Amino acid sequence: MLRHRAKLVGQINALLMFLPYLVLLVMFAIVPIVMAFQVSIGPSRLSPEGGIGNYMFVFQDFRFLSAVGNVALFLVIYLPAMLIVVAGLSLLLDTIKMKYTLPLRLAYLVPAGISGSVAILVWYFMLEPTYSPFAGIFAEFGITEGVEIFNTSNLVYIFALMAFFTGAGNWIVIQYGSLQSIPDEILEAARMDGANVFQMAFLIKLPLIRKYLVYMLILVFAAGLQIFVEPYLISSSVYPGLAKDWSLNQLSYTLAFLGSNLGAAMALSMVMLLVSVVVALIIIYRTDFFDEARLKVKDKK
Amino acid sequence: MNRKLIGALVMSGALLLSACAGATTTAEDSAGGGEEATGPRTLLIYVDPVREAAALAYQASVEGEIDVTIEVLGQEEIIAKVALANQTGEGWPDVTFNPSNNVGVFQDPLNGYALNLDDYVDPAIIDGYNGSGDWCVIDGSYWCLKNDLAQTVLWYDTVIFDELGLTVPTTMDEFAATALELAGTGYVAGAIGDQGFYAGYLWPSGCPISQVLDQDTVRINPDAVECTRVFELVQPLVDAGVLDTRGSFDAGFLEDVARQQNVAMTIGPSWWGQFVIRPEDSWAIPAGRMAAAEMPSWSGETTNWSGEWGGGVWVGNSNAPNPQDVADAIVYLATDPDMRADKVTFPGYKPAFEKWAAGLSSDPYYVGDVTAAMVVQAPKIRQDERPARFDLRGQLGVLGTELQGSGDVEASTRTFMAGAAELAAGVGYTVVK
Repeated sequence: MLRHRAKLVGQINALLMFLPYLVLLVMFAIVPIVMAFQVSIGPSRLSPEGGIGNYMFVFQDFRFLSAVGNVALFLVIYLPAMLIVVAGLSLLLDTIKMKYTLPLRLAYLVPAGISGSVAILVWYFMLEPTYSPFAGIFAEFGITEGVEIFNTSNLVYIFALMAFFTGAGNWIVIQYGSLQSIPDEILEAARMDGANVFQMAFLIKLPLIRKYLVYMLILVFAAGLQIFVEPYLISSSVYPGLAKDWSLNQLSYTLAFLGSNLGAAMALSMVMLLVSVVVALIIIYRTDFFDEARLKVKDKK
Repeated sequence: MNRKLIGALVMSGALLLSACAGATTTAEDSAGGGEEATGPRTLLIYVDPVREAAALAYQASVEGEIDVTIEVLGQEEIIAKVALANQTGEGWPDVTFNPSNNVGVFQDPLNGYALNLDDYVDPAIIDGYNGSGDWCVIDGSYWCLKNDLAQTVLWYDTVIFDELGLTVPTTMDEFAATALELAGTGYVAGAIGDQGFYAGYLWPSGCPISQVLDQDTVRINPDAVECTRVFELVQPLVDAGVLDTRGSFDAGFLEDVARQQNVAMTIGPSWWGQFVIRPEDSWAIPAGRMAAAEMPSWSGETTNWSGEWGGGVWVGNSNAPNPQDVADAIVYLATDPDMRADKVTFPGYKPAFEKWAAGLSSDPYYVGDVTAAMVVQAPKIRQDERPARFDLRGQLGVLGTELQGSGDVEASTRTFMAGAAELAAGVGYTVVK
């Protein structure tokens, strides 16, 4: 009886702790998703009966495939770059433990402060040969005109560069934090077994922070899939139309607000949500992302 | 646990619903108050930063009668804001300043935002436009008033023309011949890697790009002779290096060409003088050089047509409880001679542009009276291109990007027009050749 009561109290406590998040989740995720789904199967000009018409409209849109291609290529460049560089630099930061660590961590965060519209301006000035402090270097490669850099075939690299510098610093500091969670005993034991710096990094530390890297991969994938600000800003201000409807999210925005087709925009958003969720689930179930939590519960029992 | 979770979900759902219901009621109450005209008269105006001064002048002119709220935002945001208001059924701005094509979107019955001005605007105002405001006519009614005309004229540098002994071209063939005389001199006949190619060449020639025939039909045809003659005339000029394929605001073009006073002539809209050619941070052409001439005419045309680059419109809210106030505000903002006199753009309404032109025509910065050519071109804006529901303005960016990238005039235009045709079909038009 007493045990039963204790269990009940535990459950109530758990619910209380979860409730604030649950309210937010319902208000700002579940409700919008349900509304978006309803609009996506609702009637629109070209699909008066509703149903899957809006989805078919999106799949057949002349911009859809190129946007899929752009985003896919972007992810192929951006994801590995983030994973490798973030893991590498945070391991380095953790290995070189000395008085410079703190200013170094700060230094990694600085580029992350330059994001959104500011990042566009900064990168525009850095990459535009007329203004760039690196104009001399560009000239060495025979590049003297803005259009030689800002053209459609280079966009994916420019956006990957922008997104990388905006995001990497934050993640390096976070992964550095996750490295601090590795118990000293384990590192001590490894050291006593004669592991050198590289073995420590790749055979001990990296496997131990793998879950955090998986977590990062899920979030970075979702963010990358939704790339919007960089192409939107560059084609609405600096080079009008250069990256118009370049990404899926831009296409969704265009459909909703310039094409007056909210149904199709919602359909595209639902497709992107589905892809994000499926990829996250695959990553979670193909790795042991949630296993540790279960193990700990077992231990307690 | 699960049951509790469901309970919590239901509860928060109920909370959410009641919150929404509360919000809706309040909004309806306040709107209802306006309808019965018991409360104070209010007006919400959305303008871009350039038009803020005009809106402030209007606000001051009706102080004490109408409570005017002004919101400054980017031109590209207006359609999105109205779409959101349409979705929620409340919160429409009463008066909006728009890029010219927006009226096509807002007049669409499925959007329904635009107020039909026929019953609220004095016909004398419409007459004062002398046909130059006909962009706003859809299905025989006026759905907007033109804020300004952005009719293209031929800007030219008198110093360079004197130096090379050139005469001002009156036909496009002469324009091409004059441009070719610039080959090897370092001077150019302007830049086309942006909207200028549409406004200054394709549109005046009559190339059907946004030729809306009726609510369901648009004509888009790159094979039309009005398009092909443009390709044939312009490509040799690009190949000879006398038409720059960068944009007129491109950093490189500014640095290498415009600011070096190497633009011998360029087709450009009426607002370029004060906004592009003259300012220190733009082309920075010194005083005593630039003049404006009438547009050259395309061979076979009896009229030397202009196109338009810009030329915004004022649109009112059909859902407003006080449509007469909305229309009065639009009339003031678009036509008030005193208020318009010191604004940079060319007003379409005759009494307003006469007062406006008086200031500019005697400006010693220009050689001669630049307003003369603008006045001649005002009623000659070719009306084949019409406001459409699809986003032509965005698609024009594709034209600029293609031209900058390839320098192939015909291929770039065809890519741009193919995209326009897809966009048109995507909003329900039947596209005909």
